[in-house]
Amino acid sequence: MLKKLTRFYHPKTIEEACLNLGNGELKTAIIAGGTSEVLRQDNSIEALVDISNVKELSYISKDSVFYRIGAGTPVQDIYKTPALTGPSGNLLKAAAGKIGSTLLRNSITAGGNLAAMFPWSDLPVVYMALDAEVVCRKGKPKRTVPVQTIIDKKASQFLSAAEIIAEIAIPMYGKGTGTAFAKLAKTANDYSMITIATRLTTRSGKVDQARIAVNAITAGPVRCIEAEKLLEGQKPTAELIAAAAKKAADSITIRKDFRASREYRKEVFEVMVRRALTEAHEKAGK
Amino acid sequence: MKLNTRINGKEYCLEIKPNAMLIDVLRQAGFKGVKFGCGEGSCGACAVMINGRPRNSCITLAGAAEGVEILTVEGLGNPEKPHVLQQAFVDSGSTQCGYCNPGSLIAAKALLDSNPNPTAEDVKDALDGNLCRCTGYVKRIDAVLQAAEASKKTRKSTRGKK
Amino acid sequence: MAKTLKKETSKKAAPAAKVAAAPSISPIPESPLVFERPDKFNQVNHSLTKVDSMGLVCAQQKYVADLDMQGLLHIKVLGSPHAHAVIKSIDVKEAEKIPGVVAVFTYKDVPRVVRTTAGQGFPEPSPYDTCLLDSKVRFVGDRVAVVAAETPEAAAEACTKIKVQYQVLKAVFDPERARDKDAPVIHDEKDCRVPIPIFYDPKHNHCSHVETAVGDVKKGFKQADYVLEKTYYPHYAQHCPIEPHICMAYLDENDRLVLRTSTQVPFHARRITAQTLGIPVKKIRVIKPRIGGGFGTKQEVLLEDVCGLVTLKTRRPCIWALTRAEEFMAARTRHPMVITIQSGVKKNGAITAISMRIISNTGAYGSHALTVLSNCGSKVLPLYRAENIEFIGDTVYTNLPVGGAYRGYGATQAAFAMECQMDEMAEAIGMDPIKFRQLNHIKEGESSPIFKALGEGREGVDMAIGSCGLSKCITEGMKRIDWAKKYGKPGTGSKRRGLGMCCLMQGSSIPEIDMGAVFIKMNEDGSFNMLLGATDLGTGSDTVLAQIAAETIGCKLEEMIVYSSDTDMTPFDVGAYASSTTYLTGGAVINCAKKVREQIEAVAASMMGEDMKNVTIENGVCYGKGRKNKVTFGQVCNYAMYEHKQFQIGAIGSHISHASPPPFSAHFAEVEVDTETGEVKLLKYVAGVDCGTAINPQLADGQTQGACMNGISFALTEEYIFDENGRMLNPNFGNYKIWSTKDMPELETFLVPTYEKTGPYGAKSVSEISINGALPAIGNAIKNAVGVRITRPPFTAEKVLTAMKELVKPAKAAAKEPKAKAGVSKAAKPAKPAVKAEKPAKATAKKATVAGKKKK
Repeated sequence: MLKKLTRFYHPKTIEEACLNLGNGELKTAIIAGGTSEVLRQDNSIEALVDISNVKELSYISKDSVFYRIGAGTPVQDIYKTPALTGPSGNLLKAAAGKIGSTLLRNSITAGGNLAAMFPWSDLPVVYMALDAEVVCRKGKPKRTVPVQTIIDKKASQFLSAAEIIAEIAIPMYGKGTGTAFAKLAKTANDYSMITIATRLTTRSGKVDQARIAVNAITAGPVRCIEAEKLLEGQKPTAELIAAAAKKAADSITIRKDFRASREYRKEVFEVMVRRALTEAHEKAGK
Repeated sequence: MKLNTRINGKEYCLEIKPNAMLIDVLRQAGFKGVKFGCGEGSCGACAVMINGRPRNSCITLAGAAEGVEILTVEGLGNPEKPHVLQQAFVDSGSTQCGYCNPGSLIAAKALLDSNPNPTAEDVKDALDGNLCRCTGYVKRIDAVLQAAEASKKTRKSTRGKK
Repeated sequence: MAKTLKKETSKKAAPAAKVAAAPSISPIPESPLVFERPDKFNQVNHSLTKVDSMGLVCAQQKYVADLDMQGLLHIKVLGSPHAHAVIKSIDVKEAEKIPGVVAVFTYKDVPRVVRTTAGQGFPEPSPYDTCLLDSKVRFVGDRVAVVAAETPEAAAEACTKIKVQYQVLKAVFDPERARDKDAPVIHDEKDCRVPIPIFYDPKHNHCSHVETAVGDVKKGFKQADYVLEKTYYPHYAQHCPIEPHICMAYLDENDRLVLRTSTQVPFHARRITAQTLGIPVKKIRVIKPRIGGGFGTKQEVLLEDVCGLVTLKTRRPCIWALTRAEEFMAARTRHPMVITIQSGVKKNGAITAISMRIISNTGAYGSHALTVLSNCGSKVLPLYRAENIEFIGDTVYTNLPVGGAYRGYGATQAAFAMECQMDEMAEAIGMDPIKFRQLNHIKEGESSPIFKALGEGREGVDMAIGSCGLSKCITEGMKRIDWAKKYGKPGTGSKRRGLGMCCLMQGSSIPEIDMGAVFIKMNEDGSFNMLLGATDLGTGSDTVLAQIAAETIGCKLEEMIVYSSDTDMTPFDVGAYASSTTYLTGGAVINCAKKVREQIEAVAASMMGEDMKNVTIENGVCYGKGRKNKVTFGQVCNYAMYEHKQFQIGAIGSHISHASPPPFSAHFAEVEVDTETGEVKLLKYVAGVDCGTAINPQLADGQTQGACMNGISFALTEEYIFDENGRMLNPNFGNYKIWSTKDMPELETFLVPTYEKTGPYGAKSVSEISINGALPAIGNAIKNAVGVRITRPPFTAEKVLTAMKELVKPAKAAAKEPKAKAGVSKAAKPAKPAVKAEKPAKATAKKATVAGKKKK
């Protein structure tokens, strides 16, 4: 229960936060919404940098190419922002609205969901499906990397000392792109058993880009690359989508989950991928 | 360690342990309307408003409440002068054991603050983190809708007077 | 109907009449058999504001933990990591060294007193098989040691420092294997026993046995056109009050032990704590402040003994609050059961015989083991007419969490089995399931031999049904769910819809066992203090009982100041259980308030110089003949207190009932089943309840809605998941899913008024019955939608999908079609193959027990 914790930092700016994080003396971690039980149970952390009042980390904006979401933005804001529209905005909102409950959505943040990644985290798959980029800041200096880099290495390994995730940049997609989000859980605020985010970007009736990103059924967020490849360059017929769904189901390593058997989850996963792709395809055509 | 925070509009400087949870600090400070239910952010009995956002105080470190504005149910109203939501909970029969009410009222307040004209679906969405085992939720949803309606009337009449 | 009742009651009243004939009137009161029906209701049958509600929403009402107490010690109890083990050695030295630790107790430090934790009337019909602390642990989470420390953190840390050497024993988890020859004996201690002469065989893990028969079931099966047999497996569940168990203890000015506790049974808590600690009852005061829900789990004396021990030994106040995980693992649960029903039915719809055989799993201790079991029969079997009935029930010990009282109390489990079986029977004879029920359900004036055959630890009480609004519940519910239009039309596509329904009954208090008492005194402003033994745990009983008092006395609800459940201040009441408070204590309120009213009338008559029989009371004012004279309640009380022949206007009243009139209910569910994932979406749920006169319709409706939602998540998502060592894997709200607002179906509830003469102002119980409906109604709706009968709830998506696959297995012709599609086409029709297999008479019928029985 954070037995060694002695110090709280309350920075007001990103630079200050990075400075606090890199104090070099205390074992220091970032805290935003603080919903991570792993963090709360950590007995090695000596100091926490509370970034919940860093205003420049909490925003949703857009430019000509990207929706830009500050890492400290509560996911409730993503869920409730009318300005998020189109294939990217709708996918973000669909996923954000299915995270936990209102009370949790007001604590869980866009960056926290990526930094403290759990099998049931819902947003990383959305970022992956949308080919999001992540802006990291180390004081003033910043670097922008594909979200996959952070997912592959885990934020804790990827970020250097005194570096934080500052922003998620979500490319906007126009006509010809469809997205769909799907989640299997017992109740509305249950931990996910299967999380799926899909995107189909089509050109002249053929799939230009396919993304199938999944979590919860797996130990962490992964893309079903082979299934994506099966779709790309092809006309997404019902048969092809079904084949891609099967390929996706065959490609994943299913984690243990006491709530349902592997066989069941695999079977339903295939159904859900098929449906999500079908939905994305329908939307792409509109 | 010291915690400077505003609770229900009043400044507080509280002596806390660095790893203390906000629920415990608030209860020790006398705000007993903050209830313990699960300790993991699943039931919402401990919900308080932090800078206008309804959150679970059982998974919020007290240290993170430095300089913030906290609203507990005690800050909503009292029997002499109840908040419109409190009155609506009473009138609609939303109160059985009452243990989850403070948290639910906070979540409902947050909803009305951001959306004065909610639909039943909006209410269900906003109160989804506040578990209740007694009521089956039906009357509580009505209560929030009633309160929204009552607030609208009050606003209209005060505007009319001006 | 009245005839039957009179016949029966006059017999009962006979000895009493003899007593009354004696020259002096006995000081022992006679409880009235019926209550008069007034011309109109002024206070009852009105949705008046719940008396504590404003205090609750403003957080002014205090729960156990809301009292600040100087020097409070915090208790933590070390739970067993093993399901079955003997403590070989236990060393607490390191734990005692933790700064802040004040005391550590193990079984060596406390006297060994066997008793039950079940908060029932004395002597309890539950075995004395539980100690404060024992040298053996019998389930994961069982008590090992008690730590009291200055802070919760120190107490928790000390628990980790207690060194225990366990000799791990073989455990038994399967209730069907618990009585096997090679099964480990869970209660091998010499001193476990039952306090009343009932069956008890702990050497074979056999905790209780109930057997009764009416007619001849064998003959009944021979008469049947169809004999069906199926086994149902209602599952573990927890009550999940949002306030977990909590108790505070301290010594008062007179060195008496005060227990401020979250309980449904303050008086039983006092008695059982005294028994456990070996101190007189007079040394203990139990106070029940506001309670954050109970639903039965707080009809258990679970924390009071430990808190009492710590305070007596340390002379310091202490508090013990269960964590949510402890609440799941170590508090009480719903007894899971294996229920086999064999039933015979004729083509014309007549039920010729019902045999219900039950194995109930009480876990490691036998709390409520017998009575939950007998309730399975007594609250379910009388619902339908059958000449030949057999009920054989056994409760067994296993090394799993402990069963207890849970809203519904056995009726939930048995109603699931019976109401699914009703649909199976209807399907076998090709009759609409509602018509089949209408043909067979009990009606006003009728009785059932089961009432007498199955009591609680002793013979039950014979009675005829005095009020029954079930027919109306059914017809109104049918309309609301649109049965005629929607039933049996699953539709096409991957999502299929289905309707299901069920009928229910419960009881109202335990006749001639339960007692409630009330004291009312008048104040000089015309208000009244009403001191109740009854326990409002959020149900609204303080309000309902005050309405009854106000109605009887003739004033407004606001004039009643209610104080309940304090063993020093209020008269006795058995507590909040067995659907008794409104029905039973409501009777006590009438008995008490009538006396108060008579006193008021007498004083008013004397004040006005009128004849007492001419005094009428209306809304706190007494009128003389022709309304010429009047005095207010305030004047009456002042007169009685200060002016003439001074005395305190006040009285005490008690009540026992001679019947347990069942409330009735019909529940309807509309589901949509995803045939590719097995997910069940509950679209609409309708429940109609006949609770006699609803004393407070809004509160009665609230009880119904709450019970429905609890039953619904129990049916669909709540479950205990254990690992192979008997440890619960999901002891938290994150993984044990009770429903939130977002999961809600369209929920419609309605009350069907009847008048129950034996109840106060015609009231029957309302709180428990509606938790029983969801399992069968939803189970039947799933069957209607996709043709599968799920006998092992909860109805998870995986179970539904698996069952659908098993259904299509025999259909080889469909082999070429894609899997999912085959499932759909077959499932769309009613499950004919399953029925056919059961068609032959009983010898073969037995073999045809439902598919999918073997799970493990």
